[in-house]
Amino acid sequence: MASPFLDERTYKSGDLVFTEGEKGAEMFIVQEGKVIVTRQVAGTEVFLATVGRGDFFGEMAVLESLPRSATCRALDDTRLLAIRTGELLMKIRRDPTFAFEMLQHMSRRIRYLDDQLALIMESEKLSREELDRLRATSEYPQKDHP
Amino acid sequence: MIVDAYEERLLVTSDSHLGSFFCDARQGMIRFFEYACTNQYNVCINGDGIDVLHTSLPKIVRETANFLREFRQFAQEAKVTIYYTIGNHDIILEHYLADWGPLRLVPFLNLTSGEKRIRIEHGHLYDPFFSRHPDMQDALTRFGGMICRIYPPWYNWYKLYGVLKYQYLGKLIGKDGQHSTGLTQHNENPPYIEAAEELARRGFDAVIFGHSHNPGITPLNGNRAKYFNTGSWFDQPYFVEINHGETSLKPWPVNSSTGG
Repeated sequence: MASPFLDERTYKSGDLVFTEGEKGAEMFIVQEGKVIVTRQVAGTEVFLATVGRGDFFGEMAVLESLPRSATCRALDDTRLLAIRTGELLMKIRRDPTFAFEMLQHMSRRIRYLDDQLALIMESEKLSREELDRLRATSEYPQKDHP
Repeated sequence: MIVDAYEERLLVTSDSHLGSFFCDARQGMIRFFEYACTNQYNVCINGDGIDVLHTSLPKIVRETANFLREFRQFAQEAKVTIYYTIGNHDIILEHYLADWGPLRLVPFLNLTSGEKRIRIEHGHLYDPFFSRHPDMQDALTRFGGMICRIYPPWYNWYKLYGVLKYQYLGKLIGKDGQHSTGLTQHNENPPYIEAAEELARRGFDAVIFGHSHNPGITPLNGNRAKYFNTGSWFDQPYFVEINHGETSLKPWPVNSSTGG
C-alpha cells in the first residue's frame, strides 16, 4: 500500500551513495543507519554532516538538477529510501508533512549559513562595502528559463 | 515551529471534543491529567481536543476556559509538558490556544523516545474528503452535529456507514479495510493506513493518529513499525502510553473511579 515506486536500497558500512560532482536525480531518506557527508575543499576532504535515521539528503540535486555538491558514504550498514525527481511531488501529495520538514530543514540550513557568514565577516573584518563588492563579482543563481 | 521533541514518558490521547454538545469528556480529561501527573508522564492531546464545530459560543467559553485553567495548573504546579497537535475541529483556535502559556502547539510531532522515533499527528490531512473539500466537510460536520443533538444515535449510524463504506465497498473493489492487530481486528479506513505506511517508511517505529475515531493497532512496513489510533471520547476513549520508546494502546476506564 506504500508507494510501490519508492526504492529501498541497502549499503554496507563505507559504501559510497554518491560522489561530489556526479549527476544525480534522486534524494534519499535514511530508514536505518547513518550517512556521512563530506566535500573537497582545496584538495582536502572536509566533514560537513552526519545524517541519521529519518533525515534526508541529496535534495539539492533533485530540486536544481545540478551536479552533487558533496560526497555521501554509509557510516554503518544503512538502508535508504530513494526518491526520484518525478516521485517527489507524489510523495509530498501522499505525505504533506514531508514538504514541511524539507522546508524546515532548508530554513535551518540558511540560518546556519547566515551565522557562518557573520562569523567570517567578523573574523576577516569585512566591511559592508567589501561584502557588497564580493557579492557583485559572484553571480546569484537565477531561475532557469527555457 | 517545533516539530521535534524528546520525551521518555508520554501519554497520547485525542478527540476529546471538549465543548461538543454530545461529548462530555471534561471530567474524564481532568482525571487523565491527574493520572499523568501521578505517574510522571507528559501529555500530548493529538487534535480535536476542543470542538468548535459541534458547539455554541457560551458552551465552548464555559467549558474551555475552565479546562484551560486546569491545563495551566497541571503544567505549572505538576510540571507536566502538554503538547497539543491541531486537528480539524480546533484549527481556528490555533492562535487562541497558543496564547495559553503551558500548551506547546505543534502541527505534528516527531518524537524520539528511547531509541524509537514516533510520529504523532491528528491525521485529518489524510482524510480524502477533508483534503479535497475542507469547506464542505466543515459544513457537513456542523450539520451532522445538529442532527446528533436532536437524535444522538445518529452518530452510531454515521460510524456504521464508515465501516460499511470501507469494509464492504472496499471488498467489492478489491481493497480490504481490515487489518490484523495485537488488540482487535482494526477496522481502520485504508487512507489512514496508507498514510501511516508512508511515514513508517521514512524511519518511524510508530505512527499515532486520531481523527478517524477507530481505535486499534495495525502493523506497518513489514512489521517493522506499528500504527496506533486512539479513537475518541465520543465512545470508549483510548490512549497510547509511551515509555522509553515502548508504545502500547490502552483503554481509558470511563466508568471507574479514575474515569470520565
